[in-house]
Amino acid sequence: MTSTNDQPQNGTKTLEAMKSFSETYAKRTDTYFCVDPSVTAVVIEGLARHKDELGSPLCPCRHYEDKEAEVKAAYWNCPCVPMRERKECHCMLFITPDNDFAGDQQDITMDELIKARESLS
Amino acid sequence: MTEPVTDKEFKAVVLDSDIPVLVDFWAPWCGPCRMVAPVVDEIAQQYDGKVKVVKLNTDENPAVASQYGIRSIPTLMIFKGGQRVDMVVGAVPKTTLASTLEKYL
Repeated sequence: MTSTNDQPQNGTKTLEAMKSFSETYAKRTDTYFCVDPSVTAVVIEGLARHKDELGSPLCPCRHYEDKEAEVKAAYWNCPCVPMRERKECHCMLFITPDNDFAGDQQDITMDELIKARESLS
Repeated sequence: MTEPVTDKEFKAVVLDSDIPVLVDFWAPWCGPCRMVAPVVDEIAQQYDGKVKVVKLNTDENPAVASQYGIRSIPTLMIFKGGQRVDMVVGAVPKTTLASTLEKYL
């Protein structure tokens, strides 16, 4: 999938794509979203922003010296290497069921995502 | 509420502080940062006068974040006498944060 620069941040196309990716990936890996859906929503918004800005959904829970270089390195592009290898998501998007913060949902509503976007814009 | 601190103010507010300082390194689109923020606020109240508690937005203040090698967010760092003395990474329970802080009082 190629991204173009004519999609402004207030468009929801990338957000919908990241929502769909997150739901599918949670189901595929038997992981769950956080009991607090605002945590999930903020992370998905962060992924969508990085996808729009950089072309890849770089993890929003890291500080980078150089985001473009990190995208090329690919290690922290979601799903990151620790998640793919060991189901470790320190961003708490994909949580294993044994974790206290795991909820029982693998889906999130568009309303929840829009609410998070508006709360932080 | 926990006071924000910037790259510019960091030396005066954190490094030159007479009492230990807890710095919450956070970013706007980081989920676990939202979970740890109320814990940090509670710590600020509990240790009022004994520990200074501030938060630094790493997106807006990359210089300090890079200087201290911040990678995973949230990272909570403790400074005493201008030096970094300890840190805790991730959304931790209040008890963990409190027991880490107690060592430096």
